[in-house]
Amino acid sequence: MTNEKRARFAKYASKTAAIAAAAVITFIILFPLIWIVPSALKPRDELFSIPNHFFPQQATLENFSAVFTMTLNGYSYVRSLFVTAAVAAASTLLALSVNVVAGYAFARVEFRSRKVLWIYFIVSMFVPGITIQLTSIRVVSALGMINTPWVLILPGAANSYQIFFFRQFFLGIPSSIEEAATIDGCSRFRCFLNIALPISITPLIVLGVGHFMGSYNNYIWPVLTVSDNVYLTQVMQIIKLIESSLVSRYGYGIVIAATLISVLVPIAIFAAFQKKIIAGIAVTGLK
Amino acid sequence: MFAQRKGKKSVSDKFRYRDWKTGLLMLLPAFVILFIFGTIPLIMAVYRSFQDYNTGLFVAFQNFSMVLSDVTFVQSFGNVFLMGAVCVVLMMSLSFLFAHLILKLPKKFGGIVKILIYIPCIISGVVTAIIYTFLMNYGGGLFTSILLSLGLDPIAFTKEGIWPYVCIIVPTVWGGLGYNTLIMLAGLLDIPKTYYEAAQLDGARKIDLMWHITVPCMRNYFVLMLVNLVTGYMQMLDIPYLITGGGPDNKTNTPALFLFSSFRDSSRTPNITIAGALLIMVLIVLINGVVFLVLRSRKSEAD
Repeated sequence: MTNEKRARFAKYASKTAAIAAAAVITFIILFPLIWIVPSALKPRDELFSIPNHFFPQQATLENFSAVFTMTLNGYSYVRSLFVTAAVAAASTLLALSVNVVAGYAFARVEFRSRKVLWIYFIVSMFVPGITIQLTSIRVVSALGMINTPWVLILPGAANSYQIFFFRQFFLGIPSSIEEAATIDGCSRFRCFLNIALPISITPLIVLGVGHFMGSYNNYIWPVLTVSDNVYLTQVMQIIKLIESSLVSRYGYGIVIAATLISVLVPIAIFAAFQKKIIAGIAVTGLK
Repeated sequence: MFAQRKGKKSVSDKFRYRDWKTGLLMLLPAFVILFIFGTIPLIMAVYRSFQDYNTGLFVAFQNFSMVLSDVTFVQSFGNVFLMGAVCVVLMMSLSFLFAHLILKLPKKFGGIVKILIYIPCIISGVVTAIIYTFLMNYGGGLFTSILLSLGLDPIAFTKEGIWPYVCIIVPTVWGGLGYNTLIMLAGLLDIPKTYYEAAQLDGARKIDLMWHITVPCMRNYFVLMLVNLVTGYMQMLDIPYLITGGGPDNKTNTPALFLFSSFRDSSRTPNITIAGALLIMVLIVLINGVVFLVLRSRKSEAD
């Protein structure tokens, strides 16, 4: 009896210890992000003061009002945020439609050159972006895409990883419904549109959110291909803000406020789809 | 091959390949985009790396030897190997341990933890770099304040001793830990529980379970994670660029950062930079090949 009690207590204690440890680790991981919230509310002289308090002694919304009213090189930060989000959304839509179609063709349609094309797509995965960056700039400028939204939308649209996962997804679902529909005279493309596409919501969301984040957060490629104009991405605006004279007027609090606003977009999207994304990582991360 | 196929052309073949036009049409957009923005730049890069920039003449490996004679470039490879290796070890061990911890949690709490730890992974490298730069501010950042309140001297994190490396490694691991933990977790959940039960009936200790069941079953996950991490870290760019700027004394300079700044540096011709960029690709493919070979051969030994 006492043994059983002791065992139960040990189990309870280890569970409590695990919860406590996980809570502490999660807090440490989230701390840098939590930290920017009170920091954005700090007035100029408090941000880098010694001793440094976590909470602002005199909270102010000055930093936020500065971010909302400021213009950098003639373009407001809020506008850049919207433009970046719109470009990211457009690029996601294009990428998904191109890749889901290709993934379906690789999984379902048989033709002679399929294997060669498959190898071509797989091999392209091993070319790192950094290797072709400089010559890619040549290509996009020859096509007249520099300083247009196309340079942020088109080049990354065909993505072998996405094609690979869409193909795996379609291979994993039985094709009998589509075969039945074919017998009833349904064309291959209609099969894709009316049967396969509606059931692939989960991979579309998981890969789509990933693509959106990549586009929204991209920095190096836009720096090389978009200079001062309306398509300046939000990340570029933040970097420009750090280097601008606004910092000497308002202090670095304005940068933190801009960072906080910029982070809200991915967090909101993640919050909306978190269940599918978390479940999807197990599938898309491997196999 | 083609002739053989042609000879075997039959009704069933005709039926099998009946949709070939639609199939090719469905692949066309992806193929065209990939060819224009992936293959053509790669061909151009290979072509130009063997060409003198000013004269356009074929110069064999001259561009490669030029970029390799650059001490900064060679040094940047050493840096990225060092920082990448530490990041890989930290990332794999931390995510492995953390995944085990999450398995022990009650289901609901574990679900919340899984969501929360993933949030850093959706934040851009630039924002990550900015947040950490402010936290580590020498004049009055939070870390300096904590050090002072403990009675210690403030540290110039981006300049002193080994701290510049820490400044790169911590944000880098932070940005990927959630994702990799979730993958480890998926791998652990993939292992059938019956393996453990059977072993326990035979009197296996906990360490035996770990070494003889968990690790072998996770091998595929380890290999893929390793390949992913190596490929990513070899291209490390925005965090060193924004936090340390590659300094001090090029200690945290990376090959990608070298190329990024070399591109704007007129003392080096673009063709030399491109040769350097191709070297990175060769190295990534080589390292991944070794990872595959080593871990694959081990597997066949076990079988």
